[in-house]
Amino acid sequence: MAAAVGSLKLTLVCLVLLLVAVIYVYDRGGEGHATPPLVLPLTMLSINLFAAVVSNKTFRRQLPLLVFHLALILIIVLVALGRMTYLRATAEVLTGGEFSGLDRIEAGPWHWGRKDAIRFENLGFQIEYKPGLQRDSTRNKLRWRDEAGIPHTEEIGDQEPLVIHGYRFYVSPNKGFAGLFRWEPSDGSPQLGSVIFPSYPLYKDDQSSQWRLGEMNILTRLIIPGVLIDPQKPGWFRQPGEHQVTLDFSWRVATLRPGDAVQLPAGRLVYLGLTTWMGYNVFYDWTMPWLLAACALAVLALAWHFARKFAAKPWQAG
Amino acid sequence: MEQRELQILWVAVVSYVLSGVVAIFGVVLNKAPHRFVLGSLVLGIVLLSASLGLRWERLGHGPFITLFEILASNVWSFSLIFALAYWRYPPIRGTAAVVMPIIFVLLGWMALSSTHDGHFPRSFRTPWLYIHVGLSKLFLGTVLVAVGMAGVILLRRAGIGISRFASLPADERLDDLAYRFMALGIIFQTLMLISGAIWAQDAWGRYWAWDPLETWSFITWIMLAFALHWRLTMKSSPVLGSWMIIGVFVFAFLTFFGVPFITESPHKGAV
Repeated sequence: MAAAVGSLKLTLVCLVLLLVAVIYVYDRGGEGHATPPLVLPLTMLSINLFAAVVSNKTFRRQLPLLVFHLALILIIVLVALGRMTYLRATAEVLTGGEFSGLDRIEAGPWHWGRKDAIRFENLGFQIEYKPGLQRDSTRNKLRWRDEAGIPHTEEIGDQEPLVIHGYRFYVSPNKGFAGLFRWEPSDGSPQLGSVIFPSYPLYKDDQSSQWRLGEMNILTRLIIPGVLIDPQKPGWFRQPGEHQVTLDFSWRVATLRPGDAVQLPAGRLVYLGLTTWMGYNVFYDWTMPWLLAACALAVLALAWHFARKFAAKPWQAG
Repeated sequence: MEQRELQILWVAVVSYVLSGVVAIFGVVLNKAPHRFVLGSLVLGIVLLSASLGLRWERLGHGPFITLFEILASNVWSFSLIFALAYWRYPPIRGTAAVVMPIIFVLLGWMALSSTHDGHFPRSFRTPWLYIHVGLSKLFLGTVLVAVGMAGVILLRRAGIGISRFASLPADERLDDLAYRFMALGIIFQTLMLISGAIWAQDAWGRYWAWDPLETWSFITWIMLAFALHWRLTMKSSPVLGSWMIIGVFVFAFLTFFGVPFITESPHKGAV
């Protein structure tokens, strides 16, 4: 039985099924459609490999081949565990503000990470641009607290994520401006809030955001006069010196500069000024180092196997 | 492109063409002008290195971005790996008649492509770029050497050049040697995929995202694994084995030279 399941011919069938599944997943758009089609070929392949290791005496004679096949089984198991426990999300944090949670979360059903324990503060960022508005270096300073509550300051950027409790925060091209407001209701205490404008400079011509204040819908537009980042020459991401915001309440439109206020039926809305926000891509997958180790082991064992095999007969053709 | 880079490039092209033409006529006329073929090939490699080196110095980045740069750097790596095989394994030198026309295709494509500069993204400023690209070139180069042998087997079986390729080893021996290069190819390609995943994790926060280039690279890997496993399991004939080698090369060629230029984002976030 084990010999039949571990047949080398069945391995060929499994590889064909894996090929078909990969093409199908790619055709369907990849991420989000990947897991179900890959379950069957990868399960079949792992059973086939395991049965081959158990039933085929070749593996007892050839240690590198045995290690290679065991490493392949380990890779499949780790990929499966990774898919069950991973998390992918985004986050947006105001400069000077605290991380307040993840958005657009996509996670495996067994995800058990400590995302509620993540605490960090965005201390500001610098982004350089090359001519043509091509994004160059990104540096972002953060303050985070360890398990003992001790604060640490760290600069992250291109290829350097912040790693907290296994969650990896990568700076993304998504960043921009946010308007800071104070709402002073007639019958309550003042509240501070922010309105995030779309990513800049990607949406520099449409810096508007819809939000609600009580029962009111407010369309807020950021107006920046002149050119903030000249596409003709090197530049950097910076806050505009002069700007204004327009608040469209549908029955009236108010134009405000920092410090200006607008009187509304239920209170007073004060525009405090502009700040920036940084968007992060967040990734969690505890299997990554183990997966890398298993892949390295597999490729080393395969190289060892081929080296032994080819050493038995000279390479020189003739 | 600077005048000097262009002049050196064209002399390199002439050198490659001379090497290839003499190799092909050597097979047709049953001559063995091996020293000239190797010498001209090495001269082409040296001149192309000089031209690409000057461009690298001028732009501040290597030939990794535009179609011209990718084609030119692959002509360089193809010819370097084939020259090493040509020098190291004299019995397979006749395969130059199969390999050089493939290099001619890349040379012609390169000559037609624009030599303009491209934006070098921040995410490319990492040692993983050199490791990943270097391994991909080793993979393609070793498969190209195997294709040379597979091509000779198929030409012989088609009745073309039986006497002309008589100096090469028998089909079974060529097949064995070709599969050794394919075995090297799968090692390099596996390492290429691993290094690419490490780079992608650092640069874009994910080690796999089903983007066109990584998916088609993985498809090529599955095909290569299938070809190697088929040969081991089914003890297939050199002809079938040769068709599989050609099939893997065609997929690899389309993946590396086709996919990056027909999709908007070859690697999501790379540009």
